[in-house]
Amino acid sequence: MQTSFRLVFTKYEYFILSIVISISLFFTLSIISEYIFLEPYLVFSVYTETAFNFLLVLILSILAGIVVSMNIFRVKLAKKSKSVGASLTGTIIGASAGACSCGPIGFSVITTFGTAGSIATAFLTNYEIPLRLISICILIIMLITTMRAIPAECKIN
Amino acid sequence: MKNGKKYTVAGVGVAIVIAIAISFTSYLGQFEQAENQGDNVPTSTFQAPFLGSQSATLTIVEIGDYQCEGCKEWFDHTRQKIIDNYIDTGKVNLTFIDMAFLGVDSFNAAMASYCAGDQEKYWDYHVMLYEHQEGIDSGWASNERLKSFAFTLDLDIDEFSHCLDSKKYYNQVKLNLEKATGIGADRTPTFILVNASGEQRQIIGSQPYNVFEKVIESLL
Repeated sequence: MQTSFRLVFTKYEYFILSIVISISLFFTLSIISEYIFLEPYLVFSVYTETAFNFLLVLILSILAGIVVSMNIFRVKLAKKSKSVGASLTGTIIGASAGACSCGPIGFSVITTFGTAGSIATAFLTNYEIPLRLISICILIIMLITTMRAIPAECKIN
Repeated sequence: MKNGKKYTVAGVGVAIVIAIAISFTSYLGQFEQAENQGDNVPTSTFQAPFLGSQSATLTIVEIGDYQCEGCKEWFDHTRQKIIDNYIDTGKVNLTFIDMAFLGVDSFNAAMASYCAGDQEKYWDYHVMLYEHQEGIDSGWASNERLKSFAFTLDLDIDEFSHCLDSKKYYNQVKLNLEKATGIGADRTPTFILVNASGEQRQIIGSQPYNVFEKVIESLL
């Protein structure tokens, strides 16, 4: 397992890629979920009842950075892109959960798609925590699978 | 086959980048809109009850939805501090404009608040709604629950039920939604702070008390 980490993240470009993905996702989700406000002042705010959700956003961002960059390494190594699709699916589910709600994205979805949009945003909002947990589980499974696969694929190649 | 997979992965990657770009653009657009439209918001055209002194030198217009989580966060953490420090001292008053867009129950809850207003209990009912908020369209603001809230507040149930069932305030809520979107609000909660000289600033989202304190002090 440690071998996989060493193989991927000792390469400068993958290390940077994982950090870029994690930070970009964390800031995007934090702004959308209203943990970070840019106007009128730059403010970071997490209330007690939103702390768990914030923790999930943080875990999701870090995992997405690691898993996606490891899978890109794997794609280049073994030309297997299936795993990247799964890890991206996990990231998208986690990112979508709670991203709608009362924000401009939700407003656009509801005004564009009417009742269907309203049902979709209500689902994403009401099941925000379970959806984020599911996406974290998908990413963890992908991480374990990838970490096991990389040393074997390296030997073959 | 391999190429097909590559294209799928590339497609998903591009979709993520586009989604992130759209969300950022949407937020940046929102700030631009706030900057451009913040100077000319016709708050006097809204017909909503005021909390606090009518002669206060600063008005906070809250644009919200009774099913919005962010509005509840603001209600739970910031509103009472503003009431204690600014509204009760007569410096600021507060009004609430419904932007009932999140679901069917948003509209019903907004109409019910005006029905409670007929019996001089608008703000009590407003507080009751936010204190009991649950998931969007989960039934927490069904007609029966709305009537039970009215019962808890000792309202005349027959009068309240007639008002709610006849949708007396349907047009008022619809008008408020149109006006809120008309002045550029595209999310809840949105706050417009207006002082006596007409100077305005917007605060978007459930921001903490210290942000409101700074903006209020700059406008007083």
